[in-house]
Amino acid sequence: MRNLLNFLVRYNSLIIFLFLEGIAFYLISTRNSYHNSRIVNSVRSTTRGVEEKINNTKSYLSLHEINERLAAENIALRNNISKLVKKESSLFFSVDDSTHRQQYLHTSAEVIENSINRQRNFFTINKGDSQGIKVDMAVISANSVAGVIVGCSKDYSVAMSLLNPDFKLSARIKSNGYFGSLSWDGRDYRYAILSEIPQHVLVNVGDTIETTGYSAIFPEGVIVGTVSDYEKFGGDFYKITVLLMTDFKKLHFIDVIGNIKKTEQLELEKLFK
Amino acid sequence: MINSILRFGLIFILLILLQVLLLNNIQFSGYVNPYVYIMFILLLPIEIPSWLLLLLSFATGLIIDFFSGSTGMHTSATVLAGFVRPYILRIVSPKDGYESGSDPSMMIYGFRWFFLYALLMVLVHHTTLFYIEVFRFADFFRTMLRVLLSTMFSMTFILLIEFYRRGK
Repeated sequence: MRNLLNFLVRYNSLIIFLFLEGIAFYLISTRNSYHNSRIVNSVRSTTRGVEEKINNTKSYLSLHEINERLAAENIALRNNISKLVKKESSLFFSVDDSTHRQQYLHTSAEVIENSINRQRNFFTINKGDSQGIKVDMAVISANSVAGVIVGCSKDYSVAMSLLNPDFKLSARIKSNGYFGSLSWDGRDYRYAILSEIPQHVLVNVGDTIETTGYSAIFPEGVIVGTVSDYEKFGGDFYKITVLLMTDFKKLHFIDVIGNIKKTEQLELEKLFK
Repeated sequence: MINSILRFGLIFILLILLQVLLLNNIQFSGYVNPYVYIMFILLLPIEIPSWLLLLLSFATGLIIDFFSGSTGMHTSATVLAGFVRPYILRIVSPKDGYESGSDPSMMIYGFRWFFLYALLMVLVHHTTLFYIEVFRFADFFRTMLRVLLSTMFSMTFILLIEFYRRGK
């Protein structure tokens, strides 16, 4: 007993150290993977007020740029409207039952917290459950891939950024349709890696990479980026470096896309697994 | 006693605010993140009992983790830095030892001493932090580069703050 007490007194700092490191590593081990983002979500809710204030200041400073982007978007939308108006003014036209055919629901939101310099990057947006955001919805920024929602509270959601090695995306080369798996390698925030493209496929620098829509999360044909470099990797496949279209350093206004028919697709697919 | 608790409380709050509000939002090339909050562990009195030092390190790391949305990374790195601090103090100890009841500041022990002490502490902290963040040795040298660059920036900030404190 006495020896034990002596031991405890002598090595007390070592014991406390090991105990505290134990807690820290426990926290690390429960770190949010794709399906376990609850901790990040609850932890973040405590600091959200501060983050939102910081974001307000930041968005004020970048108003000019935001204005320009909104103006450009306005023009694009006006063009679309003019096409539709023409259709309605002609004598005969077919009625599209839009809700029957609609597969994707868009919601716009703002990024209030974002990072690019960690290994596992997440960003927080200012809409949540009560605005209809759900886990596994796709996030795009100006029609290019940005991330996927992993957790929602009442008014906020946390999305896993493309800049996260846990984020795997099914993507294809637009010109020839060959698809592979795209993910971030944790290096430069401007580039991601497209793998599993076989070596007999013709790849050119500058080719557009887009989503396939196989995953039931992203719609088909959302742009990811362009090929900036490729090399032969192993015996069979290319390792293609993709210059990302989304500038994650400037991520601000984003669209969240929900797939209405996702459950239908997944349930059907489940039957054959 | 109460005076010094107030003083360190103020330093603690200021450093955390600086880190969370300013430095966490500066995202340089993706390689550099200065982490200046470690300076709080640097500045605690030399004769602080080791259990208190460890608990304070733990608390500091936990708060930073809360604000950066990373669970446990900063905590483990800061606790390790708190644990090795007495040994580092022993390594860099000046010829005639430390004065009793003094703070490890540039004012008392000079620039060269403080620089070496801060550099060793920051290196320990950053190395742990970045390797835990990556959690693999595949990109060993690239992570090393991140550690060194960030150490440079953190050291610049820490020395500036320390010069400012000395100037007052």
